[in-house]
Amino acid sequence: MKKFKFPMRYVPISATILVFFIVYLIGIISFENFGSPKVFLDLFVDNAYLGIAAIGTALVILTGGIDLSVGSIIAFTSILIAKMIATGSNALVAIALALAIGIAFGMLQGWLIHCFSLPPFLVTLAGMFFIRGCGFIVSEESIGIKNDPVFNFIQNDLTIKLGKGMNLRFIVIVYIVVLIAAIFFSQRTRSGRSIYAIGDNELAATLMGIPVGRTKIMTYTIAGFCSALAGVVYAVYLKAGNPLNCVGLEMDAIAAVVIGGTLLTGGVGYVFGSLFGVLVLGLIQTLIVFDGRINSWWTRIIVGLLVLAFIFMQNLITKISKSKSKSQ
Amino acid sequence: MNKSSNKFRHLIWPLVSLALLLLFNAIFTDNFFKIEVKKQDSAQAVQAPSVPGNPSENNVSAVDPTEAAAKAAAEEVEAAKQTVQESAGQEAQAPKKDEKGVSIFGYYLYGTPIDILNQGSKVMVLAIGMTLVIATGGIDISVGAVMAIAGAIAALLISMLDAGNCVGAGMGPAWYWIIPVAAALVLSTLAGFWNGMLVAGFGIQPMVATLVLMVAGRGVAQLITDGQIITFDNPGLVFLCNGHALFLPFSVWIVVAMYVIAGLLTRKTAFGLFIESVGNNERASRYAGIEARRIKWLTYVICGFCAGVAGLLAASNIKCADSNNAGLYLELDAILATVIGGTSMAGGRFFLSGSLVGAILIQTLTTTMYMKNVSPAIVQVPKAMVVIIVCLLQSPVFRAKVLSIFASKAAKGGVQ
Amino acid sequence: MNKFATVIMAAAAATLLVTGCSKSDSSKIKVGFSQVGAESDWRKASTESIKGEAEKRASIDLTFSDAQQKQENQIKAIRNFISKGVDVISFSPVVATGFEDVLKEAKEAEIPVVLFDRAVDVSEDGLYVSFIGSDFVEEGRRAGRWVLKNVGENANVAELVGTVGSAPAIDRKKGFEEIISNYPGIKIIKSQSGDFTRAKGKEVMESFLKSPEADQIQVLFAHNDDMALGAIQAIEEAGKKPGKDIIIISIDGVKTMFEQILAGKANCTVECNPLIGAQLFDVVEQIHAGKSVPSRIPSVEGVYDNVGGVNVGTDREPVVTKKITQEIVDSRKY
Repeated sequence: MKKFKFPMRYVPISATILVFFIVYLIGIISFENFGSPKVFLDLFVDNAYLGIAAIGTALVILTGGIDLSVGSIIAFTSILIAKMIATGSNALVAIALALAIGIAFGMLQGWLIHCFSLPPFLVTLAGMFFIRGCGFIVSEESIGIKNDPVFNFIQNDLTIKLGKGMNLRFIVIVYIVVLIAAIFFSQRTRSGRSIYAIGDNELAATLMGIPVGRTKIMTYTIAGFCSALAGVVYAVYLKAGNPLNCVGLEMDAIAAVVIGGTLLTGGVGYVFGSLFGVLVLGLIQTLIVFDGRINSWWTRIIVGLLVLAFIFMQNLITKISKSKSKSQ
Repeated sequence: MNKSSNKFRHLIWPLVSLALLLLFNAIFTDNFFKIEVKKQDSAQAVQAPSVPGNPSENNVSAVDPTEAAAKAAAEEVEAAKQTVQESAGQEAQAPKKDEKGVSIFGYYLYGTPIDILNQGSKVMVLAIGMTLVIATGGIDISVGAVMAIAGAIAALLISMLDAGNCVGAGMGPAWYWIIPVAAALVLSTLAGFWNGMLVAGFGIQPMVATLVLMVAGRGVAQLITDGQIITFDNPGLVFLCNGHALFLPFSVWIVVAMYVIAGLLTRKTAFGLFIESVGNNERASRYAGIEARRIKWLTYVICGFCAGVAGLLAASNIKCADSNNAGLYLELDAILATVIGGTSMAGGRFFLSGSLVGAILIQTLTTTMYMKNVSPAIVQVPKAMVVIIVCLLQSPVFRAKVLSIFASKAAKGGVQ
Repeated sequence: MNKFATVIMAAAAATLLVTGCSKSDSSKIKVGFSQVGAESDWRKASTESIKGEAEKRASIDLTFSDAQQKQENQIKAIRNFISKGVDVISFSPVVATGFEDVLKEAKEAEIPVVLFDRAVDVSEDGLYVSFIGSDFVEEGRRAGRWVLKNVGENANVAELVGTVGSAPAIDRKKGFEEIISNYPGIKIIKSQSGDFTRAKGKEVMESFLKSPEADQIQVLFAHNDDMALGAIQAIEEAGKKPGKDIIIISIDGVKTMFEQILAGKANCTVECNPLIGAQLFDVVEQIHAGKSVPSRIPSVEGVYDNVGGVNVGTDREPVVTKKITQEIVDSRKY
């Protein structure tokens, strides 16, 4: 058996990438203009905030936890920034404060989860209600960000024009930078490896002397930061804040992470996979818009079926790889 | 005696929180505990201002918590009796109630605490099923969508039957409501079966497995109703959440019946033990000869059935099926109620009574905020805080830490 | 072998998506429409009006997208319309803010935009050609004027607010309060959110009716018909007569509400007309033909009650209420 062996652990993610290209190809064949580079670029522009949020979610899921507060933190930070700018604060101060609150909130959640061994599902669920309510306290009404020098600078001077109607926006660059940093962090640093170890077997990790508590709190802190950064990106993207936005976004983020090949039980998967998870979700949406005849409820059913198809596939692969490792 | 106090230990903190909340209302909200006796007259219930000659039921103001607990216990006993009398449970009880929605004695209680029980009934029913699922170490986040499906199919069938162009048209209108109810329960049980198949059959993580139905289920419900809100006024179906029996809303009796059945099933048979053992250590229980898969599967089926009942209650309450909003985010409330009641999310330990108290606590909190004119914008903030506080109180780690602080203080005091 | 299986499964997943291919006919006007969602009877009626009208007209090729009440979905849809190269974009905004960038992009691509049902808040002119639809603030004002003229200058009002933070909830409240602010005798004594749904409307009304102020409530103002319908049930269960003991006024004008008014269980509903598909495509055709269109096109809307003949508009622009009859109920489509 000198055949080239494709490492089993790369199969789920390769499958997702393959699906992405197949769907993309179907779109190009079915609809005119689908193949234009603008469609591809817009996928990144429209999903940058989701991608950043999914990075945090991926790390948390790798530890075997879950974070449901993502969507609410995005809504909160975007409305906070809009409100502060509307009342005359400097945009940079507002952004810094929003990020700081995100970090502090993530840390608080991590602390509650670790120190009192409360279930992550519950703590972040309460966090979701809490921070959404805080968003409404900041402002019940959506607020637009108008004529702010910082936002105009980001919009006009940090955008790379690639052609007519095609702009590589700053938020896309932010997403890619954060993604690369997160990939490096999870694969190449000691803390990153600790995340995998905890997700795989928390008890074993503790016995091996890995600082479980510190790593867990750190992961939730990073997740809080990612959510807040997604909120900042969202505010830049919309030039507005709205406390009602992003309801249920956490489920999209979780779905993206799962489609990207990460196991919800923790320990298995790659942050990189979340990129393709997000892209696949975005591509499906684009396809449905281009078609323009599918009812909204069918959209939900199709997304549900797709998630199902992916988990079946993953399930199959894990079973096969398990039986292989046994036979070896 | 000692044994029984141990048995109820998990109930202490939720009950204390509930009592505090009720005490707050007793002091700061006028009329909170005012319960009137009203005469049942279905369509135009005559307003019966408090009759002074009825001391036992009238104007029960500021019931003290222990009394309330005692009352609750008495209710349970009564309920047990009732279910024994009506033997086959809910399905068999139903025909009796159909006499134009008039209760057995023609009187019913009316007041905020009754509303809390009635409005909370959906979450209570959900929480019963959710408790069993969580006890096996799983979770079901699709119950809200399953509620929408159940309501949708029931409303669709009843409107078809009312229009008289369906099989059951030969039966009188007093009877054929059973068909939609049965169909809704069958369909929701099937939904539970599907979830169970994914989780137990294929070994998919519960959260992702039920995520599928959560996302797709509401779409299915909309497909059933074609996106419309279907209204109905069939007396039988409306009775479920609007009628009264034995002084209380009928929905409360449904909850009691389901609680008793679930209680008997889990505490009087080995089923409860099996659930706990599967939740504790699935592999070990398999080695011990327990059909772990089947047990898990069964809990999802039960949970689906409970979601169906809750969906019927939700539809009955507003006399229509609103696929978009029925049961929206109610899965979260059901999970909160379960965890507040002391059931561990890691599985292996469950308390049905705790879940019911948790559901009542959540509903009391919501109603309190309506009554106190709390701005709708901030309603979620106090809810989140109460949840975290109760969960901290339930956490053994938290209690140990707080106790150790007190203990060290006491020790210091002792030295001085 | 496994890899083969994976490929098969992946392909199966992908083919799920393909419901068919559509190559569009170039002679037609390609219109992209993004709807808010399917959250109420009202919205559903609006969607049907648009789809039905598009099917009727041979000149229109409609691409319809449902945003499921999420702004992020709507923005993606509009961007995709631009990429797809439609001739006219129309949408019903989820909220007022946040559409500036995507509208600029449409302008760059020289695609005219027609707003439907709700307006957007943008800092520069010319980002959209026309806005067809109702004025939520005016609807609130009409409700306020009706209360003033039929109940008098002294009234205690309970208010069922829509979804917190949503445009109709904010604007309808604003309009209503604007009218009653001149009359200190009209007070809002209770106000809670009923989320625009029947279930919540009923639940909140139940708690209102048990509050200490319950007996003082004379008027119920609901931000939409669904909440009012829920509240009517709660009032009946409390042994009061809706429409008599408590005067009920709401906004939207759906058929079920008309039936309740006819039955004497409610008093007034301010119409917010969803059936403006025909108006929309008239405007689209005019734009495509290069004609100029007014930037604000009000939809034709009435106010219906059980009295009739009440002017709820201003003196300059009178809007007289119509008394509901069986014919009006029967002719109602939604």
